[in-house]
Amino acid sequence: MTSDNTTPTELKDNERVITHQDLVRSAVNVGSLGMEFSWTYANQMGIAFCLMIMKMLKKIYRDDPEGYAKALERHVAFFNITPQIAPFVGGIAISMEEKIAKGELEPESVNEVKAALMGPLSGIGDSIFLTCIRIVAVALGISLCQSGNPLGPIVYLLIYNVPAFWLRIWGVQKGYEVGVDLLTGAEKSGLMDVIMQIAGIVGCMVIGSMTKDMFWATISVEFGIGDAATTLQDVLDGIMPGIVGLGFMGIYYWLLSKKISPVWLILGTMAFGVIAAFFGFME
Amino acid sequence: MFGPALICAFVDLVFGSFDYQFGTLYGFRPIVVAPVVGLLLGDVQMGLTLGASLELLFLGSVSIGAYVPPDATSAGILCTAYAILLGFDAETAVALAMPIGSIMIALSNLFSPVTNGLSGLAPTYAAAGQDKKIVGLHWLIALIYVPIKFAVIYAAVYFGSDAVGWVLDVVPDFVLTGFSIAANMLPVMGFAMLGRMIFTKSLMPFFFLGFLLTAYANIPVLGVALIAVIIGIEKAGIFDQRKPALAAEGDDDDDF
Repeated sequence: MTSDNTTPTELKDNERVITHQDLVRSAVNVGSLGMEFSWTYANQMGIAFCLMIMKMLKKIYRDDPEGYAKALERHVAFFNITPQIAPFVGGIAISMEEKIAKGELEPESVNEVKAALMGPLSGIGDSIFLTCIRIVAVALGISLCQSGNPLGPIVYLLIYNVPAFWLRIWGVQKGYEVGVDLLTGAEKSGLMDVIMQIAGIVGCMVIGSMTKDMFWATISVEFGIGDAATTLQDVLDGIMPGIVGLGFMGIYYWLLSKKISPVWLILGTMAFGVIAAFFGFME
Repeated sequence: MFGPALICAFVDLVFGSFDYQFGTLYGFRPIVVAPVVGLLLGDVQMGLTLGASLELLFLGSVSIGAYVPPDATSAGILCTAYAILLGFDAETAVALAMPIGSIMIALSNLFSPVTNGLSGLAPTYAAAGQDKKIVGLHWLIALIYVPIKFAVIYAAVYFGSDAVGWVLDVVPDFVLTGFSIAANMLPVMGFAMLGRMIFTKSLMPFFFLGFLLTAYANIPVLGVALIAVIIGIEKAGIFDQRKPALAAEGDDDDDF
């Protein structure tokens, strides 16, 4: 790509390039609002997350194209969260990127923190939005609709979305604030490494847990006849539940380390799926 | 049928696709789209009635995590349109909803190889610093099957309920199943890509620990995260007598 003599970012110790306005804008920009617009199985919200903070990354790495490219690469990685909470994580990520640009933080730590947050915050966010606010909104909307009142859909939309937008805008500022406070305070007391160590552990364990829960394909090959019949999936799950998903995760991980492009892995998976369905050994 | 078909396809475009760009407003639910279709086709009351009953029918089918439920949007639109245009009563329209929703979700699975493949280009563009191409990908992935969806909704209203069945007949079953198998596998590829960025030798055991806690004890991801925090606190020795963390100066575990 670029030559060796790249200029490092010239961020002074206390310099802040990110303004309050940048943050608020990012909470309602194309990426933040379109978190599920470009959703795919493999990448989920990764591309939109990158779009959400792209302008701010550009500011942080304004004199360092290579650093900018590396940052983009970090933030197009797999990401998934209750969409309304994404700006909060965006705020944290930006405060961390400022540190990374100054060389005060390991680059991979920002993805450790994102991975550590996506599971727990989605758990909280989905329960708040999908099973609490949505149900209240639906209940009121339906009762209005049933009585023939055309305000039903409007009331439903307002109850669901007013808190959603408030959370986005509050969240991005809070996330940035929390990030900056924690990182500056932590750096001085030597707590930074501890926090990063914990973030790494939480991130990895959460990915492990999701590897069990988010692999839904099953092997449907049958053994034996009549009552003794059992599927290969049952046999494998008897050895260790979720071993199939773990195995595929291992294969993907290995192939990626062989520098095989994700595009080929995805196309390969699709072809594999069709072959598996044709011969009926998976479902 | 030309006008109504166009109207329905347009409602699906705005509420079924662009809602996700406007912030996932949840305006794609039957409670919104059925009254909107009702209003545009001249029977608001039928729209409101169906909106209420279909919303109840699909109440539990929301996308939590990466689970993709039947397409309640197209179901809401088409059921309302059939009820108003073909004179079905509300019950018949509701009975049609689930099959329509399932067919439409199968249709979008048909496009997942394309969108997934496109999303695989993102890391390449990012590594080259081509931010505009990443923005372009966002729109391309989102919009690539919009014209087809538009055409399908249009045809489904124009030709009536038979058209929906015909679409499914053309594509062999195993192709649809195959793509949904692949879709169900792909999230772990996302984890593998993320893992490539953050796993280190000293962190690998924790990946397996998280996996095992969920595999054997069925602990949900939030529980695993909380346990992980406690392990982290213990491992970092925060509550130990001695001063913590100073020893951790000069990271020693990025030799992976």
